[in-house]
Amino acid sequence: MNGFDDSVLTLLVVLPFAAALALILWPGEGEQLRPMKWFSSGVALATTALVVWILLRFDYTDGAQYQFISKTDWLEQLGIGFDLGVDGIAVAMLALTAIAFPAAILIGWNVDARSKDYLILLNLLVGGVYGTFVSLDLFFLFFFYEIAVLPMYLLISFWGSSTSFPRFTRSKEYSAMKLVLFLVGGSVLIWVSIIAMFVEADLNTFNLVDLQRVGFDESFQKWVFPLLMVGFGLLGGLWPLHTWSPDGHVSAPTSVSMLHAGVLMKLGAFGIIRVGIQTMPEGAEAWAPLLLGMGAVNVIYGSIAAMSQTDLKYVIGYSSVSHMGYVFLGLATLHTLGVTGAVLQMFSHGIMTALMFTLAGAIYQTSHTRDIGILSGLAKVMPVGAFFFAIAGFASLGLPGFSGFVAELLVFLGLFQTYPWVGALAVIGAGITAVYMLRLLAKVYFGETARRWESLPDLKLNETLVAGTLALILLVVGLAPFFLIDVIREGVRHIPVVTG
Amino acid sequence: MGTEVAFLAPVIPAVAFVLILITGRRLPGIAPYLSIAAIVASFVVWIIVFLTFLDDGTGTRSIEWFSVGGFEFTWGTTVDEVSLVMLGVVSFVAIGIQIYSLEYLHEEPRLWWYFAVQSLFAAAMMTLVLADNLLLLYLGWELVGLGSYLLIGFWWERRSAVEAAKKAFITTRIGDVALLIGFILLFRATGTFDISDITQLAHAGRIDETQLKWALIFIFGGAAGKSAQIPLHVWLPDAMEGPTPVSALIHAATMVVAGVYLVVRLFPIYNMVPDALDLIAVIGLLTALLAGVMALAMTDLKRILAYSTISHLGFMMLAVGAGFPGVAMFHLLTHAFAKASLFLGAGSISHGTGETDIREMGGLWRKMPFTTVAFWVGALSLAGLPLLSGFFSKDEILLAVHTGRLNDGFLVVTFVAVAFSVLYTGRLLYRVFLGQLSSSNEDAHEPGIRMWAPVGVFALLATGLGATALEWSQDYTGFVSWVTDSEEGFHINTAITGASVVIVAVGLYLTWLTYTQRRISATAIRRRLGFVATAAERKFYFDEVYQWAINQLVLPMARLTAFIDRAWVNDIGVDGPGKTTRWSGGVLRYIQTGMVYNYALGMVIGAVVLGVIWWSV
Repeated sequence: MNGFDDSVLTLLVVLPFAAALALILWPGEGEQLRPMKWFSSGVALATTALVVWILLRFDYTDGAQYQFISKTDWLEQLGIGFDLGVDGIAVAMLALTAIAFPAAILIGWNVDARSKDYLILLNLLVGGVYGTFVSLDLFFLFFFYEIAVLPMYLLISFWGSSTSFPRFTRSKEYSAMKLVLFLVGGSVLIWVSIIAMFVEADLNTFNLVDLQRVGFDESFQKWVFPLLMVGFGLLGGLWPLHTWSPDGHVSAPTSVSMLHAGVLMKLGAFGIIRVGIQTMPEGAEAWAPLLLGMGAVNVIYGSIAAMSQTDLKYVIGYSSVSHMGYVFLGLATLHTLGVTGAVLQMFSHGIMTALMFTLAGAIYQTSHTRDIGILSGLAKVMPVGAFFFAIAGFASLGLPGFSGFVAELLVFLGLFQTYPWVGALAVIGAGITAVYMLRLLAKVYFGETARRWESLPDLKLNETLVAGTLALILLVVGLAPFFLIDVIREGVRHIPVVTG
Repeated sequence: MGTEVAFLAPVIPAVAFVLILITGRRLPGIAPYLSIAAIVASFVVWIIVFLTFLDDGTGTRSIEWFSVGGFEFTWGTTVDEVSLVMLGVVSFVAIGIQIYSLEYLHEEPRLWWYFAVQSLFAAAMMTLVLADNLLLLYLGWELVGLGSYLLIGFWWERRSAVEAAKKAFITTRIGDVALLIGFILLFRATGTFDISDITQLAHAGRIDETQLKWALIFIFGGAAGKSAQIPLHVWLPDAMEGPTPVSALIHAATMVVAGVYLVVRLFPIYNMVPDALDLIAVIGLLTALLAGVMALAMTDLKRILAYSTISHLGFMMLAVGAGFPGVAMFHLLTHAFAKASLFLGAGSISHGTGETDIREMGGLWRKMPFTTVAFWVGALSLAGLPLLSGFFSKDEILLAVHTGRLNDGFLVVTFVAVAFSVLYTGRLLYRVFLGQLSSSNEDAHEPGIRMWAPVGVFALLATGLGATALEWSQDYTGFVSWVTDSEEGFHINTAITGASVVIVAVGLYLTWLTYTQRRISATAIRRRLGFVATAAERKFYFDEVYQWAINQLVLPMARLTAFIDRAWVNDIGVDGPGKTTRWSGGVLRYIQTGMVYNYALGMVIGAVVLGVIWWSV
């Protein structure tokens, strides 16, 4: 590998942070904002270019488990190093982030209040996300994980919206506080596990690759794995620790919702794989049934709860809870088909939800409501929005031709190889998705156009661009999933406990 | 060129779909021609493939789609008798329908979108037909469902159309859940989706019997949903909310027969599991009978035709259940053209009169002689008037029930179902076309050439296609034996054919007396039948029961779940600890007064307590 390959990951992580710093130092507000938005978009697209480079240079056939490795000593006394590297799973997640990040920045153009600070926080958040996906050192992985989570608090509590429902109220401060308390609570469990691993291994290292080779005691694995499973799983919306997620969506501004459901929730599932399953395979085997049970509840409970929601974003939020359930189910199979499906589902759900939130945001921004009882017949005034929402909806209900179908199919196949009854339940869950998605489409976009909506504008240029790109990706991955599956498979192949 | 070009048949309309989507809003005028050109090209592909097939025989080819672990997933096509018949029907009927739509819908502002979805539908349907594996078949299967949804909901400003589209998608989706489970069960047992591999493994006894049985039963669930078999038939009559050409193409001639096609395709496997065939026969017969009864009670022209379609789909399933997939395919063929001419004729009628209620019609033959002839040919063919094509296929179904694996009880009920199909046909024909010209039909007029030409062609086929049932030469001993590669040629059983001819004659005579001569009073019969007639008019309460289940079970459960999530999981489980913390903080605050003498008092009390403990121990 040449020099650039060695530094590409470092560059990828540093770039968003450097951009955040540059924005902080950038003087002025007012008329300076437009260049700042252009600058942020440029940075986001630059990270996309780096990820494309990684995708092209990644060794798909019989490559080493971790590639693009770079090692820098940082705190030798404690064995902490700034070690980066990616496997196939991480590359798939980088691809997701590289799409969601520019999309969120572009949608963030619509934010006018203190948009400089908004952009700074988005950059910090994404820097943390990239860092988590590429870290091969547990200390830094945890560090970046926290950085990814914390900006959410400010983003929601400042730029978010509070909503009154007939029986309760969700203020943005409440949602932001709950989200952070939950995630920090999860972090405590993760941090305890990391320290425990450091001590138990007794190698004076936080290096993940070394720790994965240790082969911890079975009894140790059995008490540490559940901590990781819950600590990380919580960020993935694992039932019953999911309630922060729909509330967070309802309160968050559009581009934050896009990153939240699109990328942040994937950090949790990624953590379960990278830190949980890969270092504690026997622990994973022992606890897989619990993960399976909770994932099944996620799928069914989330979709049933989504059926009766009246707020557009709550429907999408609970749909996320339901769809993340397939990720947990796939992981719990510990079968190649299921785990590959789970990772593909992480990608696919990220794109799909980002698309949905883009369109929900477009409605909310112009109509100032998300109440699906009030909205009706919007297809007449926003045909482009309706078209893309239909695509997102059908992708969500698992229509073949979109990426979600391939992902869910692989999860189903994996489940039927291991736990057929849960597999049947999962297929039924996908069936229920059709009910609430078509209900949403029918209520919001179809029917007579109420007079008050006659003058709503269609999608703006930036929204059309983002929606079009995301929809196209759903379609391309759905029809030609082999690009992504090849890279994911390459990562899954190296996890010893995954069979089949 | 060989049979491998078959894949072009679905690909060309798919390309047209994309092109129309790109150009549609700016150049709406070219959309219909793109779509029609594509479907004509698909038909040409069919001709080429068909001619090659006659020389080369069955051809399969596939490419890898993706692979995971040791499992390979492929895309591929199978060209054999069954898929060729179906492909021919789909592409040919689609051409006629699209040309007809040009005139029928020419005032629609969204015509480009209509033709885009038509192309999408054609591509999906042909994918389904040609697929050599269950996964690709499922892809086509779901996409035709999407096409159906979009076209039923074409007039989406109308709430009823939106609701009908949703109902159609969700009802068939219930079947599709079963279908996917069935497919995955087969994959679990064999590690492949390839139909011929699965068939071979099944015949080699490599699939556990119980598992095979359940897989096939689940798959039939999907077929029943798509082919509107009882109890999943409720969506099809509502689907008539869509434009009439759509009803003709999707909800009569092509998509709804996909379920029949699927069980025919998998018949070599079904044939190993008698229980599954029994289920198909029972459901099929029940559907044929009940839908026939309901057709007699309906008053909306299109709904009568819809129930007639359901009934005939039931006959096709019955033939499969009896062990004669070739017969099912033959009835599929004759029904497709007859029903297409009927629906398009109905479209011409509503186009010419602005009316769909048959009670408001009468004497239309005076105003629309050509449509009348075409409609009569289609209807009488389906009723089984001798020498029209439906006569031959119905005869084969009766024979199949008689000679096949079913007992004679089935034969008796089948005759009853056939009798109903004659009765509702007679009622429809006499009521709409004969008698006094209804006052609301004064302005009725024949449509233009783009509408009547397709109707005429379909009616001609409905007349003449029956001849394919016959033995032409030693190489071609009749359609059924050709499709299934069996030796058995066409033959007539005097008793059964005779009985069926008598039923047709008596049925048409009785309805003639009732609806034209008025010598039998329909209202008196209606009164005599009492609650039976009411039940039939209320569609045997299927919709009511489902609506009740949705309102009383599904929605309350959803509301309960949402309530539990907010009130228990969140407000108690999540906010609870938060409130407890705040509360205990509030209480414990009083301990921390900040006054030295309070702390001093605490110290003294503590010291005394410790002293007492120390002293007493």
